[in-house]
Amino acid sequence: MPKRVALKDSITVDGTDLSNFARAVTSSSEHEQVDVSGFSASGVNEYLSGPTTQSVTVTFFGSYATGEVHATLEPIHSGRLTVPIAWRTDQTAVVGVDNPELRGNVQLFSYGPGATRGDVDTFDATFVATDAAGLTWHTT
Amino acid sequence: MTKTTYKVTGPTSYQGHQPGEQFEAELSEEQEQRALERGAIEVVRTTKKKGADDA
Repeated sequence: MPKRVALKDSITVDGTDLSNFARAVTSSSEHEQVDVSGFSASGVNEYLSGPTTQSVTVTFFGSYATGEVHATLEPIHSGRLTVPIAWRTDQTAVVGVDNPELRGNVQLFSYGPGATRGDVDTFDATFVATDAAGLTWHTT
Repeated sequence: MTKTTYKVTGPTSYQGHQPGEQFEAELSEEQEQRALERGAIEVVRTTKKKGADDA
């Protein structure tokens, strides 16, 4: 796959396309690093992979009209809801091997839009995977 | 089995359907409620279709 400049990414939250209201996305999948070290001559730690925490963090533009960012995210947070999220690199192309989509069911544990005088209104929202299926990459 | 026809009323697409477009779907009650409340979609009509239970 060629290198790319991120321009056409697709961000969908609970079915609603928020791509044009987002300007950055970061996904994370981290296995807890469990220390199972015993005494050894080298003194090097020994680890096993433990539970996994997965998330997607999106930088959204603050937008407060019907069907936009606040109207979509605030009910998800306040209602403690689990909703589907999807991110793929090219919204103009179908999901495929060269345009995989990260999907999963998530919650929004924190919600904190804000503003600074004279600055573009943006804030980060971190969606955390909350069921056993987790966030997984799909090619179809 | 009940199928509902929705219209995308929000400023962006909903489940791949463009603003103004109508589509037929079987959304869960919760999913429909959330989308209606935030103005993403509106219900155009609900159609009761003959399913296995009705045979």
